[in-house]
Amino acid sequence: MEEDNQSYFWIKSEGEQKISTENLVPGNQVYKEKLIIKKGIEYRLWDPFRSKLAASIMNGLENFPFKNNTKVLYLGASTGTTVSHISDIVGPSGLVFAVEHASRVARDFLDRVATHRSNIMPILQDARKPKEYFSVFGKVDVVYVDIAQPDQTKIAVDNCDMFLKKDGLFFLVIKTRSIDVTKAPKRIVEEEIEKLRERFEILESIDLHPYDKDHAMVIAKYKN
Amino acid sequence: MYSVILTELGISVFNDGQVDKSFPFSNPVKEYLAIKNKEAKLNELINYLAKIQRGVSVSDESLLAILKKFSIDCHIMDLEELEKVQSTKPQIIVDSGFASNLQDTLGKLREFALGFSSSKVTEVSQSPDLHIIQAINSLDEIDKIANGLSSRLREWYGLHFPELDNMIDSINGYAQIVMAGKRESLSKQVFEEAGFPESKVEMLSLILSKSRGGDISDINLSIVQSIAKQILDFYELRKKLEEHVESEMQEIAPNLSAILGTAVGARILGRAGSLKRMASLPASTIQVLGAEKALFRSLKTGSQPPKHGLLFQHAMVHAAPRWQRGKIARAVAAKAVIAARVDVYGEGLNQTLLEKLNIRVDEIGKKYENPTEKDIRKPQQFSRGDGNFGGRREGGRREGGRREGGRREGGRREGGRFDERRREGGRREGGRFDERRREGGRREGGRFDERRREGGDRNERSSYGNRREGGDRNERSSYGERRREGSDSNRKRKKFGRR
Ligand SMILES: C[S@@+](CC[C@H](N)C(=O)[O-])C[C@H]1O[C@@H](n2cnc3c(N)ncnc32)[C@H](O)[C@@H]1O
Repeated sequence: MEEDNQSYFWIKSEGEQKISTENLVPGNQVYKEKLIIKKGIEYRLWDPFRSKLAASIMNGLENFPFKNNTKVLYLGASTGTTVSHISDIVGPSGLVFAVEHASRVARDFLDRVATHRSNIMPILQDARKPKEYFSVFGKVDVVYVDIAQPDQTKIAVDNCDMFLKKDGLFFLVIKTRSIDVTKAPKRIVEEEIEKLRERFEILESIDLHPYDKDHAMVIAKYKN
Repeated sequence: MYSVILTELGISVFNDGQVDKSFPFSNPVKEYLAIKNKEAKLNELINYLAKIQRGVSVSDESLLAILKKFSIDCHIMDLEELEKVQSTKPQIIVDSGFASNLQDTLGKLREFALGFSSSKVTEVSQSPDLHIIQAINSLDEIDKIANGLSSRLREWYGLHFPELDNMIDSINGYAQIVMAGKRESLSKQVFEEAGFPESKVEMLSLILSKSRGGDISDINLSIVQSIAKQILDFYELRKKLEEHVESEMQEIAPNLSAILGTAVGARILGRAGSLKRMASLPASTIQVLGAEKALFRSLKTGSQPPKHGLLFQHAMVHAAPRWQRGKIARAVAAKAVIAARVDVYGEGLNQTLLEKLNIRVDEIGKKYENPTEKDIRKPQQFSRGDGNFGGRREGGRREGGRREGGRREGGRREGGRFDERRREGGRREGGRFDERRREGGRREGGRFDERRREGGDRNERSSYGNRREGGDRNERSSYGERRREGSDSNRKRKKFGRR
């Protein structure tokens, strides 16, 4: 096993180097991911096919602001696959405000993830109305947005304005499903990036292929 | 300078940055929500503020509204202040004595967040529209199972009494006969009790004596009868579900039910996810709900967009000539969204909605009485929508002639229904398309009729029971299982080579 940056770890499993995080709640599985114990520490394999953040790492992500202590606002928690790994990484003194509005998935998220992890603040509300979030306070280091809405960039920016620190990082998952499979997705990403330029410094943009067919991850820094 | 700050754990009155007085919540989730819903009483706080007799700034709109109701002189904080409250919330909570230190605050806030989220989940789970959706989905599921079992029953009991298969079209009727036992124990009385008309009873009795079927052992028969029993039970359950959906829809979505009918309404509701979500969807989305694949295909390839999805089941839509259907579907969808909105706000039945729709549909009927050249040239690509969903026929608006055709055709499809249903499971659009071809190939010039057949299918489904005894037997037998399977693989094969 090789330590990368204190945040996530490469572990050999089934003959391959796989990415993993140290389980904040030993014994607890979130999405049937494999648990591996090395030197008395339990790790959870982090599936890049299930988590776009892991896919970004696999595809060479350079900016990785999540570490011990980090405060994160996460929009689109869904059932908590990615949130759970971020929760592992930020540790007991970090904090993840996890916003999700669909109550069906929120139910699973609460049962499987939020109730077991004391660094998660579940927020069952609409990301379009950040003013009404309950139980959010202060500013965060990172805003992570994966809500797959047509107006998601605007929603994301509004949230950054309210909650992201100056120089904080912004992760935006862009869904590029579109008419022309070869050309159009790139253009869609570019268009979304254009919307950000004024307020953000674009750091990188990562195609998630082959882990995710039609998604890209954009990482930007909040200038404001 | 007084300010009133709402936190998850209580309300604090500050004066010049110092806590003046605090009002902790004993049940934070409940009390906080009561304030957000502007239902809270807040007597203590109001009495306290009344004594101050000065304009106080308030951190929350809902709280402000409540205070104003009681004539407290107050205004909302400016942005800067609000931001300060937001960023120092944990400290405010400690200062107010709602928690003992920052660590404790965090724990309590999280407890609140969990409690609040859970209560919201619970609340949603109780909402009747979600229960209706489960009910209508169960109903579709039951049809799937019952149709499959019924084919099996016919095959199996058919070894003993093959002629019966072509005589009895209704699943329920067939199962009832099987329950009566072997051929030897069948009698006029049995047939009569199963509710067959006299002419049919005569014919059955005649055939009974000349059957070419083999013997069936007691043990085999008893198993076959168990299957028949299951089918009859499903039939009962189905009836119950149907009634339930019907009455619940009338109760929670009377307007939607008036526009779409309860069954189609419930299915559309299911696709939308909830009444609230449906109310927020654009009409154009409702119009094609259930035809998502065709929609994406059209976006991708530029082919014709679907004109209707689930709405195809709507009596007004599928009873109309092909070239009017898209227009009618649009009109229905537009009214359906309004209906859903009225229902969300619980304002009871609004009669004018339906009247307006009727007027509009009449208009369309007159204006587009004849197909344009284009309509004739180009048989519509996606005209079948999800018609094969086979909801109950709504409101009996369809005209008799057309339905007759449909019914007859529908009647022969007992064996096929399994496929039919399976297709709903996901392959819908693709399947539909190919099915059209298949049908087209099978009989000459049947296109128009065929469309009618849809109606029949649907009917048939609702009838599930006894209705269709007059079926055209010959036709039906030529439409047996084997053929169906053939076409099934056909469908698969053609799936990729479309157009
Ligand atoms: C693609 S999933 C997120 C997957 C998740 N990020 C992960 O990696 O495990 C998108 C989620 O965003 C949620 N969502 C969409 N719009 C939203 C909104 N306006 N507010 C809050 N959540 C939203 C959806 O309910 C859905 O669960």
